Amino acid sequence: MSRFHPLEITDVRRETRDAIVVTLKPREEDREAFRFTQGQYLTFRHRFDDAELRRSYSICAGLDDGALRVGIKRVDGGAFSTWANENLRPGDLIEAMPPMGNFHLPLEPEAAREYLGFAGGSGITPILSIIRTTLAREPKSRFTLVYANRQVGSIMFREELEDLKNEHLGRLSIIHILDSEGQEIDLFSGQIDRAKCDALFCHWIDLPSVDAAFICGPEPMMLVIAEALRAHGVADERIKFELFASSQPGRLPQKPRRNGAADAAATCEASVTLDGVTRTFSFPKQGQSVLEAALAHSLDAPFACTAGVCSTCRAKVLEGEVEMLVNHALEDYEVEQGYVLTCQCYPVSDRIAVSYDQ
Amino acid sequence: MNNDTMSIEDYLAQGGVLTAPGNAPARYRAELLRLMASFVDSELAGSAGFADTINDAPGIKERIAAARIVLEKADHAGRVLSVMASFGADAGRYAVHHPWAARLPREADIGAVRQGADRRLAVFHYPLRGWVDAVTMNVLMGRAVVIQLKELERVSYQPLAEVFRTITPRETRHAELGLEGLKRIVETAQGREQAQAAADYWHPRVAASFGVVGSARHDMLARLGLRHVPNEALLAEWRAAIAAELAPLGLTVKEG
Repeated sequence: MSRFHPLEITDVRRETRDAIVVTLKPREEDREAFRFTQGQYLTFRHRFDDAELRRSYSICAGLDDGALRVGIKRVDGGAFSTWANENLRPGDLIEAMPPMGNFHLPLEPEAAREYLGFAGGSGITPILSIIRTTLAREPKSRFTLVYANRQVGSIMFREELEDLKNEHLGRLSIIHILDSEGQEIDLFSGQIDRAKCDALFCHWIDLPSVDAAFICGPEPMMLVIAEALRAHGVADERIKFELFASSQPGRLPQKPRRNGAADAAATCEASVTLDGVTRTFSFPKQGQSVLEAALAHSLDAPFACTAGVCSTCRAKVLEGEVEMLVNHALEDYEVEQGYVLTCQCYPVSDRIAVSYDQ
Repeated sequence: MNNDTMSIEDYLAQGGVLTAPGNAPARYRAELLRLMASFVDSELAGSAGFADTINDAPGIKERIAAARIVLEKADHAGRVLSVMASFGADAGRYAVHHPWAARLPREADIGAVRQGADRRLAVFHYPLRGWVDAVTMNVLMGRAVVIQLKELERVSYQPLAEVFRTITPRETRHAELGLEGLKRIVETAQGREQAQAAADYWHPRVAASFGVVGSARHDMLARLGLRHVPNEALLAEWRAAIAAELAPLGLTVKEG
């Protein structure tokens, strides 16, 4: 299982009003572990009072930049991104897991490929990493970027992209689409919808010559673009997605309520929530796991290995106390938040409330 | 349309794709793990069951084909298990937590019901009996696996869909190897008779592996983008494909 390592913050640059770019340096002994592939992300953790939050942010550096950099855009109500934007300073340490993610294609130095990228807002971060790397490592390949933002002031990496365009003359084209600012060409104003995609593919982008498309942005934008690409004959294998980080739940979790310890009563009253429906039943405190009890009461609770290994049966204890015999799948912070493997759980208190929906 | 906000559930129902464990809502995570566990367990049980067949092979070529199937099915299990591990599963323990070679009696009647604590498809609980039986089962199940993989390649979890896309061509080859072996078997009258008996035994058991007709879970899985084509349509496709493959070999299919 991946472990967290401390990274030193060597630089914090304000990229736009609500986004920063953070440069990070691993310890000497962790350098190998933090070797990344273009388009990957880092998962950070930070403790807020007594709860730990984990957030993933894409690496925006290219493979040959000699640095590890991520972009962090502040999300409304997002505890982690707000904390990072307001508090990170050079010299601080922050903990992260080694790079993960599959948002990339193998590089082929001899290839002369046409790539297409779609980025919405901070969805540019992994795509910037891919563009920087591809232009450097595949000298015959070209990249077209369609980049959607609300307004000019919120465009992340605007200057850096212009510099890349000049550095690799004729190999990087950028189409900016701005939501709330009019442009000379109507096509480049407003939100990306199907009609805009169709127009782009008819007049500006030669889809049949495109070898692969990368999409990273908010969900509705990804749906619209993927649908348009498919309708214009681009096969699924040639479309790579990376879901926008904002879709991850960003708020601090509620601490589970834990009532008094067990007494000698032989049965437990359980309320189990699954798919938004809560059912209440009693079951013996010994001899039957919470999962078995739920199944015995006709709840379609999820499970697979029943050995505490696969984590399919994960649920959250909202009330009461249970004992988990074996746990090979949940991490300490998940257990702290009240998550359990129900196949391994036996009630300690007389009442428990468990939810499979959280 | 607001371009910024949409619930993950709506996104999935409209064909959206998830890309990392952190994106997955609770029910999605559970159903995805369940789907992966079923695949991993079936591949491990299939590989383990086929291992003995290597020693039943009548020639070098057949021996290599059987060994390759054993090797690659274990490798496919490993590839999907690594996706499970990204959700927290302990891959090392998982790979050894069940006796994958264990089988029920040949005449046990378990329908499509999974047995015990592993999630292998029911068909992998039946024991193989010798070379002809193993090859025939591999032809019938091999075609089923390819049809089911075509469906699985469309799952809404991109890292898993990509793994399935690397697996399909090799599983397709396994089914072809089976058919090549079966062609040699039916060259003799005795071989054809044994193959027909094996086909009669395995056909209903493989058919049951497509799951129940009109599954109530299908709609829920479809909304999550984890299923697209209903069980009955996949089953019909398999029935037609198998009938077409067996007919030129002089073998018939007993419906049921």
